[in-house]
Amino acid sequence: MQPITRAICVSTLAVAASFSYAAASANEPQSARAGWYPSIQSGYDLLAEETEQLAEQASTYCAAPSEDARAQLEHQWRDAFMAWQHVRFVDFGPVENNNLAWQFQFWPDPKNLVARKAGYLTKSDQPITAEVIEQSGVAVQGFPMLEYLLFDEALSSSERALPSTHSCALLTRVTRHLASNSEQLTADWQHFKTPYLNTESYHVATLKAAMATLEILEERRLAKPMGLRGNGKRNPYITDAWRSGTSLLSVEATLLGLQQHFLPGFLTLLEQNGEQDLADRIQHQFKATLDNFPAANRPVTTLMSDDNAFRILQGLYVDVSQLTTLVNDQAAVALGIVRGFNSSDGD
Amino acid sequence: MDTSRRQLLKAALGGSAALSLSGCSLLPRKSGFQPEQYSAAVGRPDGTFGISSVDLQGQPLWVSAVETRCHSGCMHPRGNKLVFFERRPGWSFYVLDAHTGRRLHHIEAAPGEHFVGHGVFSPDGRWLYATASRYEPGEGIVAVYDAEQNYQRTNTFELAGIGPHQITLHPDGETLAIALGGILTHPDYDRLKLNLDTMAPALILMNRRSGKIVGRLTPSHHQQSLRHLDIHPSGKVYVAYQHQGPRHETPALLARMENNRLQEIRFDGDTQIGLGNYIASVIAHPENDLVAAASPVGGTAVVFQGSTGKLLAKASIPDCSGVQALAGGDFLISSGQGKLVRLGANQAAQELSQLPLYWDHHLV
Repeated sequence: MQPITRAICVSTLAVAASFSYAAASANEPQSARAGWYPSIQSGYDLLAEETEQLAEQASTYCAAPSEDARAQLEHQWRDAFMAWQHVRFVDFGPVENNNLAWQFQFWPDPKNLVARKAGYLTKSDQPITAEVIEQSGVAVQGFPMLEYLLFDEALSSSERALPSTHSCALLTRVTRHLASNSEQLTADWQHFKTPYLNTESYHVATLKAAMATLEILEERRLAKPMGLRGNGKRNPYITDAWRSGTSLLSVEATLLGLQQHFLPGFLTLLEQNGEQDLADRIQHQFKATLDNFPAANRPVTTLMSDDNAFRILQGLYVDVSQLTTLVNDQAAVALGIVRGFNSSDGD
Repeated sequence: MDTSRRQLLKAALGGSAALSLSGCSLLPRKSGFQPEQYSAAVGRPDGTFGISSVDLQGQPLWVSAVETRCHSGCMHPRGNKLVFFERRPGWSFYVLDAHTGRRLHHIEAAPGEHFVGHGVFSPDGRWLYATASRYEPGEGIVAVYDAEQNYQRTNTFELAGIGPHQITLHPDGETLAIALGGILTHPDYDRLKLNLDTMAPALILMNRRSGKIVGRLTPSHHQQSLRHLDIHPSGKVYVAYQHQGPRHETPALLARMENNRLQEIRFDGDTQIGLGNYIASVIAHPENDLVAAASPVGGTAVVFQGSTGKLLAKASIPDCSGVQALAGGDFLISSGQGKLVRLGANQAAQELSQLPLYWDHHLV
């Protein structure tokens, strides 16, 4: 050692032993993943069913438009979109292929690319084929585009409103693309069983996926649009699904998806680590958070427009925030999960 | 963060009070002829960002607030100025007084372009070469700025490829080495990767005066995003990948340029898993044959023998990312948890300090 460094008062520590989450998780049984795997499969199966029905409903409506068919179509869009919300937390595995998650839901969209791309496609003389959808990018390929076609007020009062030829072509092609992607995803997840169960890093990946989902829920889907961050101004238009008034319904569906597909394995894991009390508190907080619904299931524009309605949103936010603290801070520490400043950067 | 930690941070970063590093009074001296300080982009617990510098006594020298998160930068050869680039998509870079942190220039990207976080000076300090992207057509470029003319843009070199990232200068003083990640991104689409099936990463060697590409080497797999690199004073080039395929695949993440090809370096299975298919920094030690690399995703830092690829040391350091060579042959590793850790080939990792900030990707 050099003289200069010999003089340094350093605290030698067993860095490897004290820091490693790998060391902690290596001892965990496969039981958490063994539980998560079939549960996520059932979520993907449901998504495939719902999107297939959506594609069929879109074809039915465009072949013979009627008020009734339109109502059924809008209802089916909601069902399929909520099926997606249930599994939206899964950000690893087959959903990473071809940016599938982004294809399902392009968000955030600060430049309103969905509307711009819809305008371009529906005004163009070019036929809207499956290939056109394939090549048009993620802003075209998923639920937000369908939401725009079905619920955008300006579009609805224009000559391009459904069931105009171009808008119907776009609607049916995108629903078909979505159904195809969902079918692919559920098939790919079946083939993913062996690598998922046998690869240790997917244990942490699953935990981090749920944690990231809660963080996005708290910060970007609630706090920021509520004006609790940044310039302090309320802005409902930066939530997802504001056009259809289902921003809060989708928040509920995301929480329900986590509760159904992630929470059971997570609680078992905590209990195995001697964290029964924390597990109980998290379970209770999930329930308390979901108790905000159905009262909070109103369009976000309504909830933000007057202070009485806004209190409903504040109550939900407080519960989500407490849930996030329990999972992302307390449980993360208890399980040795590190969610890093650099590790989530991507460069 | 509780009040006492907030006050500590304020005191430490404001320079109004001396902060004693835990179990440490001196940081090791940097190797070579670099100025006696370490600098990096930092995040702060209150959600703001800065560039920070610490001296060899481990005292924060200064923190310069910046509007958005920065990534990396470079020291002017005279050691009096620091340049830091905003994180991708970077819309500007900062030129700071290296001794005080005072902002000297704030240069915006040209219309239609964004920076990607890295740059390097010519040996005489006149020219700043910054990797950048023309984001609509998705074209990687090297943007050239004149440091003696208030960082006026003077030239543009085409990379004939997508997604350049780190750039450094070969010890010959004439050749730029550029890590071309190959990944198409667009600022409208957040950090979405648009071309994973067709990406074409490469190590590019370029004449710094003419912009002529004199070498283009490709990894063994097209999803090995070649993002970082370093060059030993002897001219040995080391590159680091970020693998874009499934996590359960664990291909080589490091390579050495040899006979005009990339000789890939793969460690044992556990180490490969520990690197999480993601290397954030690679540094070849100028005093010896050691190379260090850090992975924040895997929370693992490694030291290996450059000529053979033999693994010599490994440490689990959560969110570790920045690497610097230290005088005497060891390395300094920084982490997003505010730690500075010494790592060498022949001794256990030693935590040197812990500051209440997040060290961002690279140590400069």
